[in-house]
Amino acid sequence: MKKLIYITAVILLFSSCSNNTKTSNEVNLYSQRHYDVDKMLFERFEELTGVKVNVVKANADELLERLKNEGENSPADLFVSVDAGKLHKATELGLLQKISNSSILDNISDDLEDKNGYWVPMTYRSRILVYSKERVKANELSTYSDLIDEKWKNRILVRSSSNAYNQALLSSIVANKGSEAASEWASKLVSNFARDPKGSDRDQVKAIAAGQGDVAIVNSYYIGLLLSSDDEEQFKAGEAVGVFFPNQGEGESGAHINISGIGLTQHAKNKENALKLIEFLTGVEAQTTYSNTSFEYAVNPNAKHSDIVSIWGDFRRDTLDLNLLGVHRAKAIEIFDNSGWK
Amino acid sequence: MEVRRKFVQIEHKKWVLASLIVGLLLLLPMFFLFTKLFQVPSFDFFYLWDTLLLDYSFNTFYLILITSVFAIIFGVMPAWFVSNYDFKFRNFFDLVLYLPLAIPTYIMSFTYSDLLSYTGPLQFFLRKNLPDVAPYFNNDYLQIEVLGVLLGLALYPYVYTALRVSFSLIGSSYIDVAKNLGLSDVKMFFKVVLPLSKPALFSGLFLVVMEVLNEYGAVKYFGVNTYTAGIFRAWFSMGSENTAIQLACLLILLVGFILILERMTQKQSKFYYQTNTKQKPLTIPKLSTRFAIYMSCSVPFFLGFLIPLIYILNNSIQQFMMVDFSRLFTLSFNSIKVSFIASVFIILIALFFLYVEKISKLKLNTTITNITSLGYVIPGAVIGLAVILLFTQFPLFNNHLLVGSFFVLIYAYVFRFLAVGKSPIKSSLDKQPKAFEDTSKVLGVSSFKALRTIHLPLNKMALVIAFIVTFIDLLKELPITLILRPFNFDTLATQTYEFAVEEMLKASSIYSLMIIVIGSVLLILLKYITNKQIHAFRSF
Repeated sequence: MKKLIYITAVILLFSSCSNNTKTSNEVNLYSQRHYDVDKMLFERFEELTGVKVNVVKANADELLERLKNEGENSPADLFVSVDAGKLHKATELGLLQKISNSSILDNISDDLEDKNGYWVPMTYRSRILVYSKERVKANELSTYSDLIDEKWKNRILVRSSSNAYNQALLSSIVANKGSEAASEWASKLVSNFARDPKGSDRDQVKAIAAGQGDVAIVNSYYIGLLLSSDDEEQFKAGEAVGVFFPNQGEGESGAHINISGIGLTQHAKNKENALKLIEFLTGVEAQTTYSNTSFEYAVNPNAKHSDIVSIWGDFRRDTLDLNLLGVHRAKAIEIFDNSGWK
Repeated sequence: MEVRRKFVQIEHKKWVLASLIVGLLLLLPMFFLFTKLFQVPSFDFFYLWDTLLLDYSFNTFYLILITSVFAIIFGVMPAWFVSNYDFKFRNFFDLVLYLPLAIPTYIMSFTYSDLLSYTGPLQFFLRKNLPDVAPYFNNDYLQIEVLGVLLGLALYPYVYTALRVSFSLIGSSYIDVAKNLGLSDVKMFFKVVLPLSKPALFSGLFLVVMEVLNEYGAVKYFGVNTYTAGIFRAWFSMGSENTAIQLACLLILLVGFILILERMTQKQSKFYYQTNTKQKPLTIPKLSTRFAIYMSCSVPFFLGFLIPLIYILNNSIQQFMMVDFSRLFTLSFNSIKVSFIASVFIILIALFFLYVEKISKLKLNTTITNITSLGYVIPGAVIGLAVILLFTQFPLFNNHLLVGSFFVLIYAYVFRFLAVGKSPIKSSLDKQPKAFEDTSKVLGVSSFKALRTIHLPLNKMALVIAFIVTFIDLLKELPITLILRPFNFDTLATQTYEFAVEEMLKASSIYSLMIIVIGSVLLILLKYITNKQIHAFRSF
């Protein structure tokens, strides 16, 4: 009798370990994004098409490592990242296949498309400047380059160089102005820091509200999130700062942007469903949901921006080939380390 | 007699062989890591070596130092007072001083940085009510020193637990002699009690240091670049996973070396003190001592548990209407399921290893099982990477897709946490006289029967303790789950982290609350069991 109990227990243990039964009508994602809005949209997609969306969420490099080593056996059909650099890396590793369906590409503003055709943008965000409305006038600000001016000594706030958004920004500067200018920019900016880099983008905004610095480099949607926060103090912190899109002047490159993007894996087993999902995510309905919920910008020109985001007005974005954000990554890291940007 | 001895030897050979095989299977990820160590280091390796590693190592030492000092401050005095003095709420404090262990270090750090931030409740309250004082509190709290204190708060229970047992077992004769020689209470504590408890203190501190070495989430948020941050800089920023692995291997070697060194010095200065001399009755403290007692017991409890708990609870209540309860239930079930299964395997394997170690004289399997314990020092994400390499490149496995199955996830958990399950079982097995084995041998009882009928019942308590300790660690586990999990599989820890990293601390609160509640319930159970054990020992 006792043995019987043991045996059933062991069987139960193992059976609870086995994978969920697979339905064939599905699509599998490895995603770096873990926003609630994604989950909402996947459920909506399932409702519309009957295709189940399965997701593994982790850091981009971890997912790439998994994808690379799994090779042909990989169950993943799609790879999602919040950084064009990582999508470029996936392309370099030979993990993605080209997407040429016009039903997808027609959804997307031309200048945001991958020039090589391997990945498709889902949303974009700008790395902007926010400033203390009390201590800084908007007309004092102009470009990223201007931030190294003496007048900003001990006033600049930004997070750590291990953050992919900063790495992408510096990569874009390397691409636009060359590595020497980028080095100079980084080291002079470091000497203008109000404090050692730390915390999140939101913490930089809070630090402005707390008076620890006057200008911060942050992603645009964080301001949207602060302004839509139900926490009064967070809302106030969002209100205490003004939003400034740098590099808008004539001859300037435009404000630095990065995308969230999606790529079809080399060995995708549910290719048809995968393409259907991309088409849905870049369509007007999903794009509008993105901009209203996570305050990112829509890549589909037919989708409207959310009210909060619209208040900041239109801006000219840097039209740099976003793959260069990956190409110049190694150089950017080296510059960070030499400049002492922690 | 001759025949019997041979029989016994063969019997043990089977056990030894089985233990060697299981040990080697568990060593496979380590093997994969070390094959990379002997590859020619890439440019990135030398680059990191030249530019950042000195700085990163210095930060690591500094953080370990601060954390250890605070873990000692928060852990040693309460353990001493609770073990020796009779005071009001003594039992209560003895219970709750363990509880910070239920709060993962990253939740502790995120919670406090939010609590202390400019938009947090403390500064908000001061601005509103005490505008003159408020500016003094408007500081940048994201500092390495603050992080050290927070980690000290989260980790001091390791020191407290180890010393609490040790202090309770020190017999009164030592203390009486010390008192007769005219030592003051304070002097006696430093000259007699602390040296006697050195091994316990070190074993507690060892766990603290391992946790600090492994910490990544809080460290990154505070902008403190530690050695582990260096490993991830190589991997995530520079895209060089080989360099990351090589750095991790160096860490393993360093910790392994320290462990060997410690074992050697311990052997040299090994001394036994009698534990079953008459127990010292609890002292009624003087008024001044009473003040010290209440201060030293309540500060770690308030700062390490109550304040974060209240804050998280308050956030959860505010979010109550938005909580998806079916999801909360699913995630709790997931967390409990994988933690339970992995803990069972860990306990079984740990018991098996230790039992074989006990009945066989062979050094080899002891060495191998000891090396498997080093999994505890490897950062979780690197373990994940090693396991991916193993299950995609090892000839036996490479044709099937095992990565992303629960089997591989559990395997990685076992590799990482075996050391945690092993230590309580080891200390319990070590206490048993060798006579048990000899007697059962003479009686011709098979080793398996001896294990089942003698050792299992005798070590039942230790097994339960080991189970609970591993379970709580697994409940908090994050990096391995993130990298190896199957599709659509979330746990309380991953959900908490995903919200927290997107700076949505409020949305994450209900999930962290659940981790803390489950952990606390188990810790209270654990306390109940250990108390019973201390009592049993005393009446022995």
